[in-house]
Parts: sequence; C-alpha cells; structure tokens
Amino acid sequence: MDLGLTGKRALVPGSTKGILRHVVEQLVDEGCDVAICSRSPETVARALRELSGGRGNVFGRACDVLDKDDYESWIGEMAEAMGGVDIFIAGVSAGGGDDSEKNWWKNFEVDVLSTVRGCEAVVPQMQQAGGGAITLVGTTASLETFGTPQAYNALKGSLLVYGKQLSQSVGRDKIRVNSVSPGPIYFEGGVWAMLKDTMARWFEKTLREHPQGRMGTPEEVASCIVFLSSPVASWVSGTNMVVDGGFTKRVQF
Amino acid sequence: MEIIRKQVIQRVDPESQERGTTAGQAPAQELGTQLIPKERYTSDAFMRREWEEIWTKVWLLGCREDQIPQPGDFMCTNIGTESVLLVRQHDGGVRAFYNVCMHRGNRLADEGLAHTDEFSCSYHDWRYQLDGRFADIPDLHTFPQGAPPCDGLREIPCDTWASFVWFSLNQEVEPLREYLGEVAEHMEHYHFERMAMTRWVTAEWNCNWKASVDAFSESYHTARTHPQLLWYLDDFNVQIDLYDKHSRYLIPFGVLSPRVESAPEIPPPLKVLMKNAGIDPASYEGSIGDIRQAVQKHMRANQESLGKDYSDLNDDQLTDDYNYLIFPNINLNTHADDLMLFRNRPHPSDPNRMLFDIWMFELLPQGEPWPELPKHDFRPEGSHRSLGLVIDQDAANLASVQAGMNSAAYPGLWLSDQELRIRHFHKTIGDMVGD
Repeated sequence: MDLGLTGKRALVPGSTKGILRHVVEQLVDEGCDVAICSRSPETVARALRELSGGRGNVFGRACDVLDKDDYESWIGEMAEAMGGVDIFIAGVSAGGGDDSEKNWWKNFEVDVLSTVRGCEAVVPQMQQAGGGAITLVGTTASLETFGTPQAYNALKGSLLVYGKQLSQSVGRDKIRVNSVSPGPIYFEGGVWAMLKDTMARWFEKTLREHPQGRMGTPEEVASCIVFLSSPVASWVSGTNMVVDGGFTKRVQF
Repeated sequence: MEIIRKQVIQRVDPESQERGTTAGQAPAQELGTQLIPKERYTSDAFMRREWEEIWTKVWLLGCREDQIPQPGDFMCTNIGTESVLLVRQHDGGVRAFYNVCMHRGNRLADEGLAHTDEFSCSYHDWRYQLDGRFADIPDLHTFPQGAPPCDGLREIPCDTWASFVWFSLNQEVEPLREYLGEVAEHMEHYHFERMAMTRWVTAEWNCNWKASVDAFSESYHTARTHPQLLWYLDDFNVQIDLYDKHSRYLIPFGVLSPRVESAPEIPPPLKVLMKNAGIDPASYEGSIGDIRQAVQKHMRANQESLGKDYSDLNDDQLTDDYNYLIFPNINLNTHADDLMLFRNRPHPSDPNRMLFDIWMFELLPQGEPWPELPKHDFRPEGSHRSLGLVIDQDAANLASVQAGMNSAAYPGLWLSDQELRIRHFHKTIGDMVGD
C-alpha cells in the first residue's frame, strides 16, 4: 500500500533516538522530507549523516524545545527549508519520575507546552498547505494505573484531551489530529533496557502482563504513527490509537 | 558485557589532598600468575593447617563495643571449633576468655549477647567472676588436689579499635594496632564510633569462607552477577592497593559503568544516591556523567544541614566505596554515611561450609536518636529470606562455586588482574601455612 507520503514534509522534534527516530526513518523511506532536532549538536549532526541518502531529504539543527523562541525559530527555519509543513509529530518528553514537584513542571514544560507551542506554530503552515496531520505521542500510563501516581502519566493524559479538542477546531482546515499511546517499548538505550537491570522485578512483572510475553519495539509504534500521519488515514481524526500488544486490560469502546 | 567506553575517573590527588584517607596508590607487588590450587577451598587437611597457622595466630573481630556497654554485658562468639567470651569489666575495659568451664569442659554460654553478674556452669554450677577468676567451686573440699591452678577461665588477648572488640587465640600475638598496620589509620577517618549499628545477621552458607572473601574482593563479577550496579558504579576503573596482609580497592560510585553506553535518564540507583545526599534528581540540570562530583560537592557544601560531619574524609570518600579486607576474614565496604561489614567464619569441621555475618552501620544526622541495637537474625542453611539484592546475587553463586570446585575437572583459580586482591590474599595464606 502506498501511504501517499512521497513529497510530504514532516516536522519531528526530539527525534534522534528511540521511537521518534524510527518514525523519521520510516518517513524518509516513504519519500517524505523530515526535519529533526535534539538538544545536542553532535547528536543531530550524527543523525543527519546517518539519515542522508534516503528517499526523502532530512533537515535539522540542535534545538531545545524548552526555549520558546529557539523552538519557534526552528519550526520556521525547517518549514522554509522544506517549503512547508504537512505533518507534525509531537512526542518529546521529560520522562517519568516522582522525585519532587519539579517533575510536574518539567513534564508540563517539555511534554505539554512544547506540544501546544508546536501545534500553534504548524497550524498556519498546514492551513497554507491546504491540510495536514498532527500526531501526538502519549502513553498507556495515562489510560490505566501504572507505576506511581506521577506527572508523566497525568500530563501525557492531558494531551489526549488537547489533541481531541484541537481536532474539532482545525477540522475545517482539513487538519487531522490524532494520538498514539504506546505501551512499554523495549530497545537498547531505552528506559526499559535500563529498568531490566536496575528494577528487575518491576521489569519482569510488566513483561508478564503482556499477552504476547514481550514488550513492543520502536518500529511497531513508529509504523502506527506514520500510518496515522499519512494521507491513507484521511478519515481518522480525534482518535487515540493504543499500540501496546494488548498490554492494557480495559475494554476500549 | 564488554567495556565499550573509555572512562576517566577524576580522583583526589594524593599529593595535594588536605583531608581524609590517603588516595595514594600502594607500591605494586610481584605476585605471579600461577593457578591457586582448589584444595585450599576443598581439603580437610588444608582446613586444619589454616586453623593451626591462621585462625589461632591472627587478631579476630568479636563484636562492637556498644553491644556490651555495661559491666557484665558480654558477647559469646564462635570461631571454628572454639568459642570465646568478650566481657565488659567493672573498670570499663573488655577482656576475652575461652568459653569453657575448667571443670568438665562444658561451655558456659551460648553464642550471642547477654548480661551476667558472674558466669556459672549449667552442669555443676562452677562460678566465675567477670574477670574470669573463680567465684565459687561447689564442694571444693572434695577436690583433694584443690582448685585448678589456672585460677579461673583461660584468658586470651583482647583489644579494641575503632569501636570494635578484637581477640586472638594466640597468646604471643603482636599488638592489634601493629597487626592492622596502615589500614587502621585509613579507616579511622570514617569514625565508625559515630555510626549506629542497624543490622546483625548470620547466614549459613555452603561454601568455603575464602570463596566469600573472594566474592567481595573483586569487581570483575559485577557485570554478570549484579547488572543493576552497572548503572551505579564503575566496576572497571578500580584502584587496587595491596599492603602487608591487608588490601583495599576503591570503586567509584555515582557513575555509569564503562560497560554501559549511556542512560536514557538518571538510573534509579543513582537517583537514590542523589536523594541520600539531599539532591533532587528532577531538579538536577547537569549530565549523568557529572553526578558523582555533583554529589561530592553537594555533600561537602551542605554537611551542616545534612547533620553530618565529613571533615575527616576526602571528596572521593563522599561517594565511593573504599573497600578493605582486614586479613583474614573481614570485608569492610566503607562509605561516608554507612559501613557494610562482612565477617567470614569457617565452619568448625567442613571446608565446604561457612558462617557469613553481616553487620551494618549507619551515620545518622547529629541529634537524631540512635535506634536500639539490632537483634541477631540467624538464617540457617536453606533459608530463602532475602539478605538484600546484592548479597542474594552473590550467595546464589557461592554454593554453586563450591560444588564446582569439588569437581575432578577443576584444578583451581585462574585469576585476572581485576582479581589481584584474591591473589594477594592467597599469597598471605600461603606464607602463613607454608604452602
């Protein structure tokens, strides 16, 4: 199936590793141009080198999404370099933690505010382009009780509300807004690879709760994000796609 | 789990350090590369030689001074086939005696802590004062030869150091401080007397006592046995210092192992280290690689609000494990805020078994009341109650190691430079038993 991504232009901040890195790779394979960033110039330079030569072009520079001005400049520069924006994938996160109140501020600023700022900056770009797709990356930790009560779970959950309501307000501009909620995803260098060593019991317990007896891979989440962000999903908007291999136990009506 | 990163650990400069235990590297010793014969772990004959040439010659750790604070408080502790009484005297001193009635050989007390005004034998009620002298021999007139000429319990050398009571079965033993050598001064900087005892456990393990000493004397096993620690310490850039009988290694805590490429966020065990030092991991802005030094700086700058006095420790000691072996059988994991002490005791008759004692101590904030002394927690062979994750992981290896050592296929220990302390340990043993 042709996803219809050839020639499209995607913004994927915070995408030099993990799930979002795989999103970038799949988009490039589909012939989509992609703009990337992360905080470290070295990491961005390496990712640009590694991603070059694919079907789509890759642009990028170091940018801290916490810095409003810098982040908005990055969006503007990348849109100009690609000649517009059709797709925005927002999945940057400060990660989990229940150390202190500071976790709430960090998840608010990194997870929530950077997503909102990004959406507000790309909507005019997409209006200009005659439509677009925004895909927010959440977590199943918002959908069912998971770990300790903490900012990551609650504030990622707030983005489900925001994404749904945004989809209503920008629908007439042919902009679709969806969320993807991955369950635990295992990859070398990822959080679960670290927890396998450092919190072995928690890791094993979480693994046992997966019907297929394994955690997901970044590729498996990335392909769902790419699908939802592609024109093939033209009649999907305002939804939350749970990508967890059946990990969550609730019935999703 | 290969080493995949070059990691340079910033250490205090021994030349210019102004405080604390010396970080200086001890001169290298030529120890060869020969195999250590497995009979040292499995043979009854070698076990007997160890008894004759080591256990009855050296200083041995008996108890904490604050376990026996009042006159008449005593600790009864066993070593090999012997049992010893460590008794607080009316003059405040501590004396040590063989735990045996000079009449018919009955033991006067069971192992453990107790209090008495005088020792009395449960067989014929011979009585001894706290200083060991006879208090009463019932029907003495029926002993035509009189009382035994020893005048009471057989006394042995006893001394205290750094809040601990030591004894020796060797009447000719050198002074304790001389026996401990330079490592005594090293450890005095920690002021163990300021730390409260929080745990006292004895576990019966199915291995030779040296197999346990070995496990706590090298970090080469960390990657496979304790994978969680790779996210907490550098198991490879370890400074090993060999002294006369004793040794140490210095393990940097608060860093990732060079076997780990990077961490996606601050690993949970490093968060614990930071929180214990008073740093909020969520508010920490630096890199993961800088956590060790951030913790050191924070502890140094905030020792007053933490209620701790670190003035006698160098900066590395605020995070790292200064791990000492006091020959033959005491492993001390010394840290600024705690001491994990392991006492490895041989079984009375079986080289394949041992007693593993865990004594834990904690530096509490000044003014905080000390907890009551811990009760003795005995874990008989086969107990599955956890001793703590790291020790459980080691214990899981040791019975299997001992079983394997008894195989006809196994000639002995084939050691790396990462296990140099084991080689040094065996040199001392070899020198003493004449092997």
